[in-house]
Amino acid sequence: MRRRGTWLLLLPTWLVLGMFFLVPLVLTLVLSLRQRGVYGGVAPIPDLGAYVTSGSFLGNYARSFAGIYAGIGWRSLWMAVLTTALTLAIGYPVAYALALRAPRRWKDLLLGLVVVPFWTSFLIRTYAWMFLLRTEGLVNRLLLGTGAVDRPLEILYTELAVMIGLVYGELPFMILPLYASLEKLDRTLLEAAADLGAGRVSSFWRVTVPLTAPGIAAGIVLVFIPSLGQFVVSDLLGGARSMLLGNLIQNQFAVARNQPFGAALAFELMAAVLLLLLAYAFYMKRKGEEVLL
Amino acid sequence: MKPWILSAPLGLLLLAGCGAGEKAAEAPKEPRQLNIYIWTNYLPQDVLADFEKRTGIKTRVDTYDSNETILAKLQSGVADYDIAVPSDYMLKALISENLVRELDRSRLQGFENLDPRFLNQKFDPENRHSIPYVWGTAGIGYDTTKVAAPIDSWGALFDPRYKGRILMLDDAREAFGTVLKLQGKSLNETDPAVLRQVAEVLKKQKALVRTYNSSDFANLLTAGDVDVAHGWNGEMAEAVASSKGKLAYVVPKEGGTLWIDSVVLPTSGRNTDAAYEFLRFVLEPEIAARIVNGIHYAGANRAALPKIDEAIRNDPAIYPPQEVLDRCELLEDLGPTTELIDELWTEIKAAS
Amino acid sequence: MNGPVSAGRWSRRVLAVHTAFIYLFLWVPIGVLAVFSFNTGRQTAVWRGFTLDWYHRLLANEALLAAVRNSLLVAALTTLLATVIGTLAALALRRPETPGRGGTLALLLLPMVIPEVVLGAALLTLFGALGLRLSLTTVVIAHVVFSVSYVTLVVRARLAGLDPALEEAARDLGAGPFETFRRVTLPLIFPGVAASALLVFTLSIDDYVVTSFVAGVGSTTLPLHVYSMLRVGVTPEVNAVSTLLLAGTIVLIVAAQRLMRVSSSEGDRT
Repeated sequence: MRRRGTWLLLLPTWLVLGMFFLVPLVLTLVLSLRQRGVYGGVAPIPDLGAYVTSGSFLGNYARSFAGIYAGIGWRSLWMAVLTTALTLAIGYPVAYALALRAPRRWKDLLLGLVVVPFWTSFLIRTYAWMFLLRTEGLVNRLLLGTGAVDRPLEILYTELAVMIGLVYGELPFMILPLYASLEKLDRTLLEAAADLGAGRVSSFWRVTVPLTAPGIAAGIVLVFIPSLGQFVVSDLLGGARSMLLGNLIQNQFAVARNQPFGAALAFELMAAVLLLLLAYAFYMKRKGEEVLL
Repeated sequence: MKPWILSAPLGLLLLAGCGAGEKAAEAPKEPRQLNIYIWTNYLPQDVLADFEKRTGIKTRVDTYDSNETILAKLQSGVADYDIAVPSDYMLKALISENLVRELDRSRLQGFENLDPRFLNQKFDPENRHSIPYVWGTAGIGYDTTKVAAPIDSWGALFDPRYKGRILMLDDAREAFGTVLKLQGKSLNETDPAVLRQVAEVLKKQKALVRTYNSSDFANLLTAGDVDVAHGWNGEMAEAVASSKGKLAYVVPKEGGTLWIDSVVLPTSGRNTDAAYEFLRFVLEPEIAARIVNGIHYAGANRAALPKIDEAIRNDPAIYPPQEVLDRCELLEDLGPTTELIDELWTEIKAAS
Repeated sequence: MNGPVSAGRWSRRVLAVHTAFIYLFLWVPIGVLAVFSFNTGRQTAVWRGFTLDWYHRLLANEALLAAVRNSLLVAALTTLLATVIGTLAALALRRPETPGRGGTLALLLLPMVIPEVVLGAALLTLFGALGLRLSLTTVVIAHVVFSVSYVTLVVRARLAGLDPALEEAARDLGAGPFETFRRVTLPLIFPGVAASALLVFTLSIDDYVVTSFVAGVGSTTLPLHVYSMLRVGVTPEVNAVSTLLLAGTIVLIVAAQRLMRVSSSEGDRT
């Protein structure tokens, strides 16, 4: 009885995303095949047949393959990978401590304290980081005061500052899914592993990590995708001395008012991310892990 | 994990909602409405309150973050704004797309109070669609204790002596403008060869630049991150005023960017009568002066000038002298050249 | 015996120190932000002296307070809607035989992958075509669109590996589908649901890019208001409002925890 009705549970998702996501997505796809008008907007197509047969409809995609855009894409990808790896490495132990070590009565409070900082305005949070990291900033004053360094460190407007800002902003999105996944971990399995003579390290890698693979996958997806499209953090903390995919697409919609080109870039980005996710899912499946995608 | 943790946001909402509930309750019949779309801090609250008291019109104020947002909103046709305050170059696009109403001059008592220097601009000849509201400039803010002599030229942004101490606006048109003005050309140059050569200059300048920033350049100057900063006058004037003489702002001798924000009536607005009442209200010298005193931006109302606080009226960062203004120029929409500038800017940013 | 125990203690200590350090990392900028809400200067750059002036101004700043109210309302509604919709989908997707499973998985993946600015512009075009006036409703719709996928992802991570035998046992014992859901399934997946709700609230309350496209008359949210202030400089009123929001949240969390502890200990006694 109940099994036959499960598709009903999917109905709200299809109603919302079908109407308010798929339809706009198709509109955007069409937009990406057109050309910018003189004052923004889109240029009229006088002869649709000729427009299609001449291949002009792929003009925006052709333009995007210029070397300069490839370089921007590569740099953005590299930063997103690094951010994801760092948040996973830093976030996993925290999620582990919260889920398995923290006293029951403190768990909820501690989990809340991971996300609540992010209910403040992003912009002033970033200003606070700039205050901390600048040459005369708090971090340098502390380091100088304790004698840890003799000269102030140049952190702000470097790649290091960008990485600090990105990891900071993405950390809760890694910790939350990991927590949800670790929290259900059956401790008897770990004990069983210990009884069978597995050391702490090997039982962690051979029991805990595989059992929480779905949480790790979710965390990676939640962090990787937004990092790939980010730009404000790298502008403010990194000094905007380079351009990332996020800037490039944003600029097409705002400054250059070239929505068709921006849409084409967005579709390429989406295709690239989907391919990466598929490759990841395929790899996990071959290893016999459960995948969520 | 228990459900109560979710009660925190809901609790906050209830607390916040109390104020809203009271207000909704005290409106028995539908009062006249006016929906205003404007930059933050562009309309002092007490001025708005007086407008409501005098006219009985209920106002709702929404804010935007860029001119492009206004364009997108008005193009959609589903934003019910009666008043908007776009900048010069965007106004031209709004007019050409028929997104703003033609004004009926006979309903604009007080139009003669406006400063003729800001009327009849290229973006709206004869001011058929707009009335100028506030204006300002782009120039250089700098730390007087860190430079050898007072700065008076865009050349300072390209001076190797300030290597690693320079901030540039993260804005393609403004950045191109500094080089074009240095070379004695127009800000609105469209010759691709000239623009390519300008881009080369900016690429070389990159080694001197510490950061590109158009969101808190004045903060960074105050904090000492940079000593020479390209920026707009509003935020700079605040920083200069609170620095006790340490900082200064100058519009370089080669001339800089002039910007004018104007009040318009979007065609999608429904409360035209109330909108005209608002226009007449802000055209009154008394009101215009109070607006300037409240927001610290130069107003375009000449009759209001004597009523403006002396400290503001005599601040050259807010009201630059006429000879400086003469050398300033408005940024115009460059049509298809916009795409070339965007490409060149991308190249500059991607260069290492 | 002695060896493993002391090794365990040692690793526990490292874990505790690491966790404490990360909490410090998360909260130090928030401390800075709060301190500067009491600064006489306008900028988060130089400390000039103590004042409560920004709090006084905040209380008189109707536009800012309205923006805060809008943000809280949008975030609460989005959290509610997206969590329910996303959790239902996650439950259905758990069964491999569910019709349309593959298509739904693809549909849920796309909103996470699309750049925000593209989603915002596309939704504005759609609302224009539908003649839907921009308001808080359109903002909530947009936020639900980009949040549902996150909920499904996190809840599915929780569901993965949960033993369906528990629910079957409940049904065998005569529990109806609703009863089974309420008493067995929901408690099992609750940490995932709650984590995703926190995530959605966090995404929604600070969203700027999508919101800037779909907000209309009377629906300026706090991030829109703050970004709009950039033109004249963001004043510490924003620090003040953020500090108050945080303080309020923490007070509510602690109060709720106290309350729950009292009621649960009462529950224990019966």
